[in-house]
Amino acid sequence: MFKRFALTLALICASTYGQAQSKMETIASMSIIADFVRQIGGERVNVTTLVAAGGDAHTFQPAPQDARRVAQAKLVFINGLGLEGWLPRLVQSSGSKARIITVSQGVQAIRDTSDADGHSHAHDLDPHAWQNVANAKIYIRNIAQALSAADAEGAPTYAARADAYLAELDRLDADIRAGLATIPPERRRIITSHDAFGYFAKAYGMNFIAPQGVSTEAEASSRDVARIIRQIRAEKIPAVFLENISDPRLMVQIARETGAKMGAPLFSDSLSPESGPAPTYLAMMRNNLKAFLDALR
Amino acid sequence: MSDPILSLKNVTLGYDRHPAVHHLSADFARGSLTALIGPNGAGKSTLLKAVAGALTPLSGALQCGPQVRIAYLPQSAALDRSFPISLFDLVAAGLWHRSGAFGGLSRKDRDAVHDAFARVGLQGFEKRTLDALSGGQLQRALFARLILQDADLILLDEPLAAIDTKTSADLLAMIHDWHEQGRTILAVLHDMQIVREHFPQSLLLARELVAYGPTQNVLTNAHLAQARQMIEAFDEEAHICALGDAS
Amino acid sequence: MIFDALIAPFFEFEFMRRALVGCVALSLAAGPVGTFLMLRRMSLFGDAMAHAILPGAALGYLAFGLSLSAMTMGGLITGLLVVILAGLVTRTTNLREDASIAGFYLISLAIGVSLVSLKGSNIDLLRVLFGSILALDDAAMMLLVAMSSVTLLILSLIFRPFVLECVDPSFLRSVSRAGGPAHLIFLALVVTTLVSGFNALGTLLSVGMMMLPAIAARFWAVELTGIIFSATLIGLIASLSGLILSYHTGLPSGPAIILVAGGLYLLSLIFGPRGGLILKFLPRRHLEA
Repeated sequence: MFKRFALTLALICASTYGQAQSKMETIASMSIIADFVRQIGGERVNVTTLVAAGGDAHTFQPAPQDARRVAQAKLVFINGLGLEGWLPRLVQSSGSKARIITVSQGVQAIRDTSDADGHSHAHDLDPHAWQNVANAKIYIRNIAQALSAADAEGAPTYAARADAYLAELDRLDADIRAGLATIPPERRRIITSHDAFGYFAKAYGMNFIAPQGVSTEAEASSRDVARIIRQIRAEKIPAVFLENISDPRLMVQIARETGAKMGAPLFSDSLSPESGPAPTYLAMMRNNLKAFLDALR
Repeated sequence: MSDPILSLKNVTLGYDRHPAVHHLSADFARGSLTALIGPNGAGKSTLLKAVAGALTPLSGALQCGPQVRIAYLPQSAALDRSFPISLFDLVAAGLWHRSGAFGGLSRKDRDAVHDAFARVGLQGFEKRTLDALSGGQLQRALFARLILQDADLILLDEPLAAIDTKTSADLLAMIHDWHEQGRTILAVLHDMQIVREHFPQSLLLARELVAYGPTQNVLTNAHLAQARQMIEAFDEEAHICALGDAS
Repeated sequence: MIFDALIAPFFEFEFMRRALVGCVALSLAAGPVGTFLMLRRMSLFGDAMAHAILPGAALGYLAFGLSLSAMTMGGLITGLLVVILAGLVTRTTNLREDASIAGFYLISLAIGVSLVSLKGSNIDLLRVLFGSILALDDAAMMLLVAMSSVTLLILSLIFRPFVLECVDPSFLRSVSRAGGPAHLIFLALVVTTLVSGFNALGTLLSVGMMMLPAIAARFWAVELTGIIFSATLIGLIASLSGLILSYHTGLPSGPAIILVAGGLYLLSLIFGPRGGLILKFLPRRHLEA
């Protein structure tokens, strides 16, 4: 009896050891960063996502199993810019010795300009930097650097994969610019329920208007909604967009009242599940671009 | 008794399968005036509830004569007096047999309600709510409801508890009026003096029948002591209440 | 000027009109129902229900997506189930009604939270499940208006036996068997009112509009019909002023309406002619003997 028990135990130890040797355990706070790490790390890296696809990183509540995963990880990739307020506590409480890498390091952050009153809270940074492809390239470089530092053996692999991916990002950036160039600038105006597109707006010359604050926690007031409806009517804004994480009913109401076109779902904060339209960052950005073009053309 | 208005045949009553009244058999003659007496916990209120149809017997049969209309006065403590309905609405419920659950009140019905208020000396109290009344006033109102019920068999659960002597006398007079009108009355009472003076028949209950018949034959010291012992033997937790001390 | 501030928003914006219709429908049903809840000492029942319906609403959402009818049906079924189970327990054991309801609603809430997290996503499901006053679509509005009409109709049908069941249940039992059913029907009305309110308008708004006007009304009238009338009126005033307050100040609309209702309650508490604080501490000589 004891013999069999010991044998089983040994087998389990051996198998976990084998796994640990072959792959580096890492954590990504959200699905978009997980996708980046997977693109660069390839077969050498195992990535666990804390906020699953479809979830909302702003209001995430960690579960005990998340703490266990963090404790086992060697690297923890976070976006930074105030997105994961809950993460430092999680890392600390899990007793993890993991290095925390803020992948947005070096990004030119923009202030949260979402507050409709104009008196925005001065310190609040807009965390959705990945919506500008140029920033995504900074993310990639940071990730490649961190992976190489932690796993010198794999450094050449990481560098090669990063170069290939950066080239893809350049193509994506060019496609976005070329696509939007077909829309007259005065029609590049969109209403969306969650203004995660500040960086996109700045980089590609779009104008996004939101009925809610930058965080999904705020509840809309009738004044905000009235203001948006007036604005859509006055400026003849052509399209209203839903997101995968917000209350769609409000958008439907605004669209119905103004006659603006309802766009296809956008993905801003998280990727779709594997089977959805935006399982990777590249797919997400192309999905959004197509949705914008369809609605604005 | 050739034609009893109410007939109990080996009736056992109780809640949650715990019997409160055992194997009770008794007949009540049409037009009789009976006091229902016994120590606390004897099952008097339970018996009235069962006769009123608010409790189904666990076993035995409880038979009323044909077409007998019953009026039931619950203990006034069972009322939620903080509930804000007017005295008029409470009394008007006595017309339930005419209006049913949904019907409205005709002009004639409203007049009848006002008459009932006058009969019990509560004119002008129609719009009061229950929390603005003394115990005596509330009991008068409940008697007005009984008047409207116009019943053949009237069941009174402690009609004279916690009220002033004037009201007590008025209500007793009303009970006598009903008796003279040929109605049958069964009343739970604690005051032995009143029972002796006003109630020709008595039924002494101590979870079982102790004695039933003319009051002077029932209210003997031997019977009362027996009833007390039976209750104490039944249940150590029952209140040890001297039967005579209310008088 | 006054027209611009108070009326114009409703002319200019359809969503404001819809919000007003929804609130009015809710107030009309919630006033009487809330009054009875308060008088039966069940003021916290609404909160319990808000939690109890979670598993049904969540199952409806998980199975059929954001479908108002599926979530309403699910919520109704779990809500009624909790009420019926609690009623059975109250009738057959020594447990009082509030305790048995607490027992079942907590179980229900736990199941609901588990269901929500089984989905593996942390979407704020409560917010998806529970509607928003600013986003009333045709279905939600129909639901509210239908619920309100049906509730008022049924309540008027059971009114007399139910009032007697509240005041003098043993008397009612001696003249009619309607007491028990009347109580159950009433609880079912509470559940339908709340569930449709939750799905169309959100929990805070539904429970708040049910209880606050009723509690405030107690300081304005002594008799049942007067209290019901005052509660409904206070609910209507709170709906209209709350929406306008939200329109002008930018407060979220649901909470703005409840804040106004809460303000009206505090005013009633202080100035109410029936047991308000000021009258209570004034010399008694002005009052009747």
